[in-house]
Amino acid sequence: MVSALALTADGKRKAGPVARGDWFVVLFDPNSLIAAIAHSGDRAAFAKLFDHFAPRVKGLLMRGGAPAELAEEVAQETLLAVWRKAALFDPAKASASTWIATIARNLRIDIARRETRSRLSQVYEILDDEAPEQPDETLSGAERDARVRAAMTHLSPDQYRVVELAFLEEFSHQDVADRLAIPLGTVKSRLRLALSHLRARLEDLR
Amino acid sequence: MSILHRPSDETLAAFAVGQLDEGLAVVVACHIEADQESRGRLRELRAVQGALLDAAEPVAMASGPSPVATAARPEGASVEAAPMSEGMPKVLRPYGLGPWRPIGIRIAMRRVEVPGADARVFMLRAGPGISLPHHKHTGFEWTTILAGAYEHEYGRYAAGDFDEADAEHDHTPRVDPVEGCTCIVAMTGSVQLQGWLGRLLQPLVRF
Repeated sequence: MVSALALTADGKRKAGPVARGDWFVVLFDPNSLIAAIAHSGDRAAFAKLFDHFAPRVKGLLMRGGAPAELAEEVAQETLLAVWRKAALFDPAKASASTWIATIARNLRIDIARRETRSRLSQVYEILDDEAPEQPDETLSGAERDARVRAAMTHLSPDQYRVVELAFLEEFSHQDVADRLAIPLGTVKSRLRLALSHLRARLEDLR
Repeated sequence: MSILHRPSDETLAAFAVGQLDEGLAVVVACHIEADQESRGRLRELRAVQGALLDAAEPVAMASGPSPVATAARPEGASVEAAPMSEGMPKVLRPYGLGPWRPIGIRIAMRRVEVPGADARVFMLRAGPGISLPHHKHTGFEWTTILAGAYEHEYGRYAAGDFDEADAEHDHTPRVDPVEGCTCIVAMTGSVQLQGWLGRLLQPLVRF
């Protein structure tokens, strides 16, 4: 944490290869970057977060079928929200990626349902503020993410693909079926199986 | 509160992704708020979304951080304390609630205004010991019990329980003889109510 903060202490962006290679993987610590924004409005930290996450949010949405312009808008808005809400980020609740994915989902819902005056994103925010599980069951967000990632490696390629597509919000189960050229019933049963595998793996890891 | 009935994995996943009709989502949210285990499962599903974000192929942005982004100072960590209405799920705060209207002997209903929802959402309060109208329906009927309990052939449903019924179900819930029952319901499709109570309710359900 200290080293990542030190890197940005001069308030300037470091030149050089910031988005690729092992060197980057070692140094990229989103939690520290978010903390730096919260504590001191660190613009260099923000630039790093932006460079890492904005293209991924955009990529994820486009993979889900969103037009490039919309995906760009959501990515911009998501990172803007990261800047504004940095002080609300709680690593005990969720990892940075999960937190940012959640912000992107809420914005996506707000935009998709704008005409209908949807309040769904408020509902999600209220649930997120709820007290966590029993203290003895509480995992840090990073630990939970690590377990979920470990569990996801145990899915068959077919199951992984269905989960991946089903979790892209633009896609209904029918869209997933069309994409993979498999019957709707197969999508549903594969997804059901994948989710129950995930659940069983997570219970083993508990 | 010991919760026995929970949403299926697929329902919870659809909720996590934001794919559910908002009316159905609100009823699921009432359950999640009451149930620690479902909250834990929801966090795991969100972690799946986080993992998928990390695995996403980056697509170059057309423009860098907008200057607006960093013009303002980040907000403080203050969380506004919203007023709590007693006994009501917090997730209903964003929505308007109609007045309680009696719709029969010891049964009252109030609308929950969910703009943009296809499902009709309402709360139902029934006195101890009565049977809710026997009915069939064509779509979904999802219920979260807010207080008291009812019972039908699939078991007893008490505060916090989630009842995920589809068109296959044809049931007559019996309300707890001591506590009565208050629940929130989202319905899609059409409902055919049977019996004298059903005929009384019919015009009200089709709002």
